[in-house]
Amino acid sequence: MAPSLPQFSAARMRSYIFRLPLFTRSIVAVIILLWVISIQSVWNVQQWGALIPDQIGLSSMYRTNTFPLVHVGFFHAFLNILALTPLLERFEAEYGTLTTLALFLGPLSTIPALLYTFVERGILHMNTTVLGASIWVFTLLAMEAVKTYKTNPYFSLGTTQVPTWTTPLVMVLFVSFLVPNTSFLGHMCGLAFGYGWGLGYLKFLAPPEWILRWIEGKLNLLGRLPHYVSVDQKTYGRFGVLPTANVSSVSLPTDGSIGMGLGLDIGIWDVNAHASGSLLRRDPRLLKLPPYLSFLCIVIGVAWLLVLPLDNYSRKTYISENALLPGQVHTYFAGSDQNIFGGYKREVDALGEKSNVEVNDKLEEFFRASGLKVARQKYEYKSAGETYSGENIYAILHAPRGDATEAIVLVGAWRNVDGVLNRNGVALVLTLARYFKTDSRAGPQAWVDAYHDTHQSPAIESLPLKSGALQGAVVIDYPFDHRFESLHIVYDGINGQLPNLDLLNTVVAIASGQMGIGTSLQQMWQHTDSYKDRLQTMLRGMLNQGLGHASGPHSSFIPYHVDAITLQPYGEGWQDEMAMGRVIESTFRSLNNLLEHLHQSFFFYLLMQANRFVSIGTYLPSAMLVAVNFTIMAIFLWVKSGSPLDPSTKLASAGGKPSLTIIKKGDAAAIAPKEILGVRERQLFMPLAVVAGSQFLGVLPLYLFNHTPGNFLSSIFSIFAILNSVFPFIVSSAIVRYFRPTNQQYQLIKAFSLLLLGMFLSSLATLNFSLAFLVGLLAAPLTYMQPFPGRPISTAFLVLVLSLLAPTTVLFAGTYYWKLGVGEVLKEAAFGWDVWGMNTQVVVWCVWWPAWLVGMILLFGKPRDECKEESKVVN
Amino acid sequence: MRQLLSLLVFLAALCTASSVSDYHEQLLLRPLHPSLLLASFNFQSNTSLASFEQQNFRYFPRSLGQILQHANTRELHLRFSLGRWDAESWGARPWGGAREGGTGVELWAWVEAETDEEADGRWLTLTNALSGLFCASLNFIDSTRTTRPVMSFQPSGDHKNSTLSDLHLLHGTLPREVVCTENLTPFLKLLPCKGKAGISSLLDGHKLFDASWQSMSIDVRPICNAGSNDCQLQITQTIDMVLDIQRSKRPRDNPIPRPVPNEELKCDTSKPYNSDNACFPLDAADQEEEWSLSQIFGHSLKGTCPLATDGADPVCINIPHTRHVYASEGAHEHKDDSGYMRCFAIDGDKDFEIVLPQQEISEKAPLEEPLLYAERSFIGYGQERGGVQAILTNPSPTNAVDFVYMESLPWFMKLYLHTLKAKINGLDEDIIKEMYYRPALDRKRGTQLEVRILIPANSTVVLTYDFEKAILRYTEYPPDANRGFDIAPAVITIGNVSIRTTSLLLPLPTPDFSMPYNVIILTSTVMALSFGFIFNLLVRRFVAMDEGDKWDVRAVRLKALAAVKRFLSRFRKTEKLEKKE
Repeated sequence: MAPSLPQFSAARMRSYIFRLPLFTRSIVAVIILLWVISIQSVWNVQQWGALIPDQIGLSSMYRTNTFPLVHVGFFHAFLNILALTPLLERFEAEYGTLTTLALFLGPLSTIPALLYTFVERGILHMNTTVLGASIWVFTLLAMEAVKTYKTNPYFSLGTTQVPTWTTPLVMVLFVSFLVPNTSFLGHMCGLAFGYGWGLGYLKFLAPPEWILRWIEGKLNLLGRLPHYVSVDQKTYGRFGVLPTANVSSVSLPTDGSIGMGLGLDIGIWDVNAHASGSLLRRDPRLLKLPPYLSFLCIVIGVAWLLVLPLDNYSRKTYISENALLPGQVHTYFAGSDQNIFGGYKREVDALGEKSNVEVNDKLEEFFRASGLKVARQKYEYKSAGETYSGENIYAILHAPRGDATEAIVLVGAWRNVDGVLNRNGVALVLTLARYFKTDSRAGPQAWVDAYHDTHQSPAIESLPLKSGALQGAVVIDYPFDHRFESLHIVYDGINGQLPNLDLLNTVVAIASGQMGIGTSLQQMWQHTDSYKDRLQTMLRGMLNQGLGHASGPHSSFIPYHVDAITLQPYGEGWQDEMAMGRVIESTFRSLNNLLEHLHQSFFFYLLMQANRFVSIGTYLPSAMLVAVNFTIMAIFLWVKSGSPLDPSTKLASAGGKPSLTIIKKGDAAAIAPKEILGVRERQLFMPLAVVAGSQFLGVLPLYLFNHTPGNFLSSIFSIFAILNSVFPFIVSSAIVRYFRPTNQQYQLIKAFSLLLLGMFLSSLATLNFSLAFLVGLLAAPLTYMQPFPGRPISTAFLVLVLSLLAPTTVLFAGTYYWKLGVGEVLKEAAFGWDVWGMNTQVVVWCVWWPAWLVGMILLFGKPRDECKEESKVVN
Repeated sequence: MRQLLSLLVFLAALCTASSVSDYHEQLLLRPLHPSLLLASFNFQSNTSLASFEQQNFRYFPRSLGQILQHANTRELHLRFSLGRWDAESWGARPWGGAREGGTGVELWAWVEAETDEEADGRWLTLTNALSGLFCASLNFIDSTRTTRPVMSFQPSGDHKNSTLSDLHLLHGTLPREVVCTENLTPFLKLLPCKGKAGISSLLDGHKLFDASWQSMSIDVRPICNAGSNDCQLQITQTIDMVLDIQRSKRPRDNPIPRPVPNEELKCDTSKPYNSDNACFPLDAADQEEEWSLSQIFGHSLKGTCPLATDGADPVCINIPHTRHVYASEGAHEHKDDSGYMRCFAIDGDKDFEIVLPQQEISEKAPLEEPLLYAERSFIGYGQERGGVQAILTNPSPTNAVDFVYMESLPWFMKLYLHTLKAKINGLDEDIIKEMYYRPALDRKRGTQLEVRILIPANSTVVLTYDFEKAILRYTEYPPDANRGFDIAPAVITIGNVSIRTTSLLLPLPTPDFSMPYNVIILTSTVMALSFGFIFNLLVRRFVAMDEGDKWDVRAVRLKALAAVKRFLSRFRKTEKLEKKE
């Protein structure tokens, strides 16, 4: 089966080199020798041997012969040798050593050299020195090309027919374009000679044959010199037939044989694979593997997340969009602006507790006085039995010379998320509005919805004034009245969406680089850059992202692909409101530099410090591994449910020899016990019904918690939690009683439930990584739930564990830990559902809860003993 | 007596000029709220059609004339615009919007041709020639950007009935084109005085393109006296710009606004908290800004253009008569009867300058109310679909407005015509009188939509339609694909007044452009690996371990020995041979 293709192998190469004819060898040797000599600095070989057109005279005619042998440096010599050797070997083999010698030391170097000198000196009046054997290479190439042309005149490139003799010309062009310091003219002279020779016009230059024969005979060169190619040899030597003519006829059969060989090979492997695969699948060792594998997945997934804060796995942030140029411009918010700020602050303070409309009347007056266009928008949301209504006021500043196609938003909420009057924030917006273009939870949402005309009229009014496409939004949240120390940047959007990392980087770069204000994330007021702090920041970020709630007024903008952040000053320090103003001014100037929508940097990232992050490619595997653990178990259970019952019990009950069968696959055959090949009938109806039923049941709490009036939420939740702890037991007993499920059916229930869970979580991981990871982790024990008939203690223990990990318990524990009321959290969630379009609830009630329910049902299950029944039937 | 004489001279000049060729130029200044100044330059020259056809150019620019003749263009309108006209605060547009185009470049012309194909060929010639003349990318007006409006544009010139049937109207826009100095220079070259004298000497690229809004226009049209065969070709060039007075007054080397020093701060002292560190800014609306020609335009006016012989006053200013104006020596002020307009006659050689001091004045020149307020914006979000909403308000309490709304959309914005809805004051009513719709063909032509609507007095029409965003081929994206694609402004035609909305920026689904490179690199790697693997299998000869060459020291030594032996034996042979001989 050894292929007979002219193959590249070291052995062949070696033999080729050893069989190189004499003249080729000596030329190579001379070139190498001259290069070695040129290393020393006493005698300038290049100067001596080069073809310098001006210095060609009678005394220095030797240059026309020496120039091909001298090279500039090692690479020049090496590459030329590489190109020249095969060509020269062919030539010598065809014409004989003596002819080659005569030609190459005579006309083949002198004539192109003189031609070159003539053109360079006589016509172009220049004096470019040439060196190197490349001139021979092209001469030989041209000869070969003419030879090829005679047998194979055209090759087709697409539809055009290109004559083959042009190939050396193309190569000359290539070389002169791609390789620096090559002499185009020199190469062309070489080519000219080559074509002349190839076409037969220059054959007269070759020494007459009888002289060569005479010399050869007299000196007995053939006998004396190794590797000598005789003049005679050319007639009946190595190339009896022109080599180029028979290439195609030779290569065809070889190709065929290789194809056959390969086909056979693959065929054989195939058979093996099939046979071994079907046998391997029944390997009991393999069947034991998946539970460990899925456990390993969970462990690696968690460990993966834990190593992310290390230096080697996270990266430093960088500004990806070069157009932003953060902090490159001067800011001009200073000086007398402070006085005006003071004025506005007093006005805002005076307005303090007045109604929304009164406040807006006053603000409108302020905006108009600054020469801005003002508009208002009323909105009203109903959620959890309460009505949230209000009025937005906003002003538009058209950029001078702008064409109103793009806009940036600056938001100041009257009251911040915690309900504190945003005293300095609003005043700052008012003051800044003299240079640029404004409730805190529902207001921005209403405004953005209406801006994109997706609002529900008539509860929310349309916007009377609009500008172009929104490019970015910055929210100021500055509720206190003293100097601050650092900036807290809030960046989480709804449903775990994040603004482009470049926006965050810009603010961080401006605040810390230009203004010298520290920045922090995720309420990490102290950050020592230690592993612990980084991990804590990251986990807090993940928790915020996982909850998917709006962390500030900016969150409403992000679903519309408007990158937005909230800036909150904090701490006691020496930075005043003017510094804050300058940060915002500089940020806006940077955003103004943008030519395109922010798209360069990451949209999926985890931040562990203001200037350290991991991107999705690095962190995604951890959530995926956790999700994959469910899928692996699901597939394993599916396979297991289809495989026959434990062979040992079967054998014992049947008491006979296992019947054997022959598997045939192609040519291969194997003998295997019959029963391991059989597939057990799967009873699908009941498992599918249970899983589908529990999935549909998930809609119930979803509806319940999103549509109950706010004041009942807390009590409804308590009732639901109590029911939730009893419900699985009732369902399980009912199933046992009415369906009497077998072990196989329990396995199938679990398989389907885990399959769905794995599928949901892995697709969720690409959208909201943190939520997928958190739910995956909390649901991880479900992988190992199964009925434990006759082991009440372990069952009770597992029931306790699962009850602790129930969505309701986790929710309750969470609210207890953060000292919030359950009703409050649920009201917030209902608000998020109605106003922001938050969908964390869907994941909790329709993905996690059904899986948990199925897990509990499994724990309480009592499988019917199939073996006993079967044996009864047999008897 | 002297006045009468001058009037006579003026009339005589007017009569003689109208018969052969004449030239007229005028600058109108109009302050706008708040602290803005609208400057309208108008240059007009006539030439008789007969001399134009004989290529006898006097005031008519030869370069443009020859292009028009070559492309058989009978009437031409070219616009270069930048910025946004703020109709709410600035009122009606200059010239009623007739000398104005949408953002970027807009061109429409009546081309004489027998067939549509011929007209297309001539249009191509015209756009390419104009592209060279005005250094603008007019050559990018290809078939996808060219429309043939049916209801919107009417010829403004007088055409013979015989030629009228052969005239083809073609219209093209380039909303992305940024108008800049390189367009101004050729524009000025077309003028008889070439920006060297007369009002055109005020035109400077730095100031013009620093304006809040600016529009340059060229209109060429034939005008004929009724009943006679005596026709003339008229070229009107206008430049309108809205300059920010405060911005223009800033020094050129330091144009960034800075906070005013504390001493100059004007505070509302009536506020109780007014102190050194708290100041409520005072509304400065009734203070008229101080300005002068040289502050606004960088230098004063350099005399008059000697070719403008019609005797009209070259500079007019639209302000109440109570406002003080100081003009330089040798200029004569003419106040008109309306009380808000005064014009200046200028001495030919001297520089002319006017200065308006700061003045507290409550009287303002009345703003003309526009016929219609138009605003257009995108609605919806996402990468697949979107919508356009145009809000058209008729402010007049008495008159209904009949207008044609024209959209020419690029082909990748696929309009759903069934979603076209017009609501009047929030109610669905059938107010669309007439509609012309020409659907787009992918990569061949854009959508053209013309709708005739009648708005009753004092009402608002909201026109909405949905569209789908096409996915472009990889190479069809511009280099800054993530910026979005500019959508040409809608043209609203009310009689001979036209209004344009702002252009829009449409974000299309853009691929991650670095992805193809990643894919190429990845596939190349995979190819290289698989090729290497298969090639290796093909070429390598598999030999059993014991058959293989052994490369131990002994083998090397043996080989070397054998080689030496062979060498020696050969020499011996040759010796033997020689001996034989």
